[in-house]
Amino acid sequence: MELKFLENQVEIEKELNELDKFVIKFTDILNKLNIKYVIVSGYVSIIFGRNRSSEDIDLIIEKLDYDKFNKLWHKILYNFDCIITENQENAYFEYLLKDNSIRFAERGKFIPNIEIKFPKTELDKWTLQNPLKASLNDNLLFISKIELQIPFKFFLGSEKDIEDAKYLYAIFKNHLDIELLEDFNRKLKIVELFNKYIKTSKNSLK
Amino acid sequence: MKTPDIDLEELKRFKENNFKERLEFIDRYAEWIKKNSNSEWSSQQKVIINQ
Repeated sequence: MELKFLENQVEIEKELNELDKFVIKFTDILNKLNIKYVIVSGYVSIIFGRNRSSEDIDLIIEKLDYDKFNKLWHKILYNFDCIITENQENAYFEYLLKDNSIRFAERGKFIPNIEIKFPKTELDKWTLQNPLKASLNDNLLFISKIELQIPFKFFLGSEKDIEDAKYLYAIFKNHLDIELLEDFNRKLKIVELFNKYIKTSKNSLK
Repeated sequence: MKTPDIDLEELKRFKENNFKERLEFIDRYAEWIKKNSNSEWSSQQKVIINQ
């Protein structure tokens, strides 16, 4: 595997799959409108080779005023449908502003879909303010820091999440800010889980 | 139709063992990914994801 690490950035060149192309097409709109976002779902592990698919890609986007949301809505609707509501005001006032998410899929499709929400928690805000830049075949994506993604996956705790965490650790273990990772482990109270599944495995730091 | 007796403890052990084996496979898979070129692993990943 060839990954290039720069300061707060990782570059990867690979054969793109349909999920990659879908995400690139959507995030390109956000990049062009200078809207801050961060990808937080299992797709982060898929970028770096995890061999599974996903029906939804979770994004936190900065809280937008209605004018900016209006621009975004119209750009998105060139190629995508909102599968939650067709009504733009409803999407903004009844969903996003009320801490609910909205989902977009390519026209006429239901999956995969992109789920976007405004930041709700302090952790959401931190994630959005401190993304990792990923260059995927020269396409810029903002993704959750791996030092948070691993502990958060343990916090979520399903078998799939634990597998994602273990995979990300195996791939990134020599490039992680261990202090930051351990801080999140403590704050999310998953130190025991982390030790159980990572420190005792062959992939632990020794 | 007669159904078998089910030992839930036995099934629980089966489930735990299955998960353990999947985690071990992830270690092996990550090692394989790291040893192979991006074009090699991503062409295989593409087959699964594009299904």
